[in-house]
Amino acid sequence: MSGELFAFLVLALLAILGGILMLNLTKVIHMLLSLVLTFLAIAGLYVLLSAEFVAIAQVLIYSGAITIIMIFGIMLTRHNDTQKTKGNRTRNMVVGAGVVLFFFTMYFSINQVSFGDQATSLHVENTKQIGIELYSKYIIPFELMSVVLLVSLVGAIILAKRDDEEEAEQK
Amino acid sequence: MDMETLLSYEWSMMAPEFTILIIATVLSLVDLFADKKIDRKLFGWFGAAGIGIALFFLFSQIGHEPAMILANTYRLDAFSLSFKILLLIGALLVLLMGVSYEAKGELLYRGEFYYLLMSALLGAMMMASSADLITLFVGLELLSISSYILAGTRKKSTQSNEAAMKYVINGGISSAFTLFGLSYIYGLTGSTNLADISREISNIAPENGLVLLSVAFILTFVGLAFKISTVPFQMWAPDVYQGAPIPVTVFLSVVSKTAGFVIILRVLLSVFPFAQGLEANTSLLQSMMIFISVLAGITMIAGNTVALKQRNIKRLFAYSSIAHAGYLLVPFVAFSEMMFESMWFYLAAYLLMNIGAFAVIQVMSEHSHSEDISIFAGLFYRRPWMAVMMTIFLLSLAGIPGTAGFIGKLNIFIGALFSDPSRYILAAVMMGTTVISYFYYFGVMAQMFMRPSGSAVPIRMPVGVTIAMVFCAAGTITLGLFPGVVLDFFQTQFNFAEMFY
Repeated sequence: MSGELFAFLVLALLAILGGILMLNLTKVIHMLLSLVLTFLAIAGLYVLLSAEFVAIAQVLIYSGAITIIMIFGIMLTRHNDTQKTKGNRTRNMVVGAGVVLFFFTMYFSINQVSFGDQATSLHVENTKQIGIELYSKYIIPFELMSVVLLVSLVGAIILAKRDDEEEAEQK
Repeated sequence: MDMETLLSYEWSMMAPEFTILIIATVLSLVDLFADKKIDRKLFGWFGAAGIGIALFFLFSQIGHEPAMILANTYRLDAFSLSFKILLLIGALLVLLMGVSYEAKGELLYRGEFYYLLMSALLGAMMMASSADLITLFVGLELLSISSYILAGTRKKSTQSNEAAMKYVINGGISSAFTLFGLSYIYGLTGSTNLADISREISNIAPENGLVLLSVAFILTFVGLAFKISTVPFQMWAPDVYQGAPIPVTVFLSVVSKTAGFVIILRVLLSVFPFAQGLEANTSLLQSMMIFISVLAGITMIAGNTVALKQRNIKRLFAYSSIAHAGYLLVPFVAFSEMMFESMWFYLAAYLLMNIGAFAVIQVMSEHSHSEDISIFAGLFYRRPWMAVMMTIFLLSLAGIPGTAGFIGKLNIFIGALFSDPSRYILAAVMMGTTVISYFYYFGVMAQMFMRPSGSAVPIRMPVGVTIAMVFCAAGTITLGLFPGVVLDFFQTQFNFAEMFY
């Protein structure tokens, strides 16, 4: 077993473990922490693929910003911070069978493919390359993303805003 | 790439998109700074004028040589042009309906409604005019995120909140499916540009990646099926249609659905006809058709039978729109030479009849503050013209001769029978479910003509919604009686072979 394969197996298992814990834990904060575990493990996988920029963005944005915002969201809203899940044996069985089936389909279909030789020059200046591509070839989707951001901002505000004052004004 | 290459592209061909983008930006800024007392309905007319300008640009582009900007991240061809016309007309009618929407205390965010609608339209247009997976996906997300918010703008209504929540979660899952499928297409071909993909994909040896490609096909289709609300992603439609404000419901059932069909056609037709199929001498698209035809059949049956039991008129139309999405998959499965024509025509007919019917529903449900089917009772004796127009829309939806819906169904039917191989079973299912659909469409008509009306309060008909209604009724009849005019124009002006690279 080469070092790379070993690192991959460890990181992949951690990512899956995070996901499973997230579904099975009952306290919201614990769920969030397991989510962070998944995000960090995925960042590790990106490093293995010589995508350092994506890895750092993953850590900054997902494990950092998004998690913090979720914690704020949890703290600022009233809620029961534990969740009880009712077990439904038949449904779990069916879903489980589906997952296993899906895993084997994907496993065998991916195993069938040979991707040829491994690329060797991926790590060369990849941040610079991403930048150049983003600001030249992909400028249209990039600019469109700014509209997506604007829309989500507006949406977050109008859906979360309290209307009480406005109504008082109208009356 | 330097500035000169960047400027050498013909940016003016993006004029329709730029118009919509500018309108959306201007509206959001004006909404921010303008006096609170200014009636936000003006935004609607301003937006409608903007869409008018965009339509003008579009029509002036007809006959333009196929062209692209920056490696197909923007593409102008007959396919994108013809479908963008539908998207813009649909959005225009939705705006007109929105101007008249007056449900009590519901649409507090009127200004936001208009520019979110514009940004959703921008997303839909990008989905039509791109041949790069990244731009297509960004367009898809722009449309989806705007629609999630629009569905939740009735904040006081628990139904609307539930609708928005369901829509977000289902939408997220379906996006994940789509991306998962697309990522394998990218992995196998090494490009996001559909032109490059279609070239690369024919070189993939069958024993090397065929199964993976089939899986990618299924995942992509299943994910995109969410937007057109067909099985397996149809269950959000009734709840979301019921919970959302009526103009938003119309937008989802017409513009968003059209955009869904557009992206399905664009992605699947540029990639899979060129891949080696499961049997020798077939393409992967042909091998996978059986899968889509089963889904189409289930969609038609499920949509039409469940609609029979509905009393809520918005839910009824939600199931009816699921059924229509099923009909629309039939020409795709048949894959005859008439595929584009019959899909475009049916989408146009569906746009007119569905928006028209919802315009009547909007007037009636605002009048009686209810969404039960009985709000139509005795309509003929109170507003005869509106009842007649509603009858036209219902007949067209049911597919009775003399209306646009009939010609649309006929085209699909002929295409299914004369394609190679013929799709007899699917045509039979379509026939049978159409007959089932008569029951619920005629149930609404029975209310209008045969039941006595409960109240004598005069029904108010605001300007915007009336314009939309009359336009749709006139269009439905014109397309029904003189389909040749449109189809001829279509065949001479739009050459769909341009879609392939």
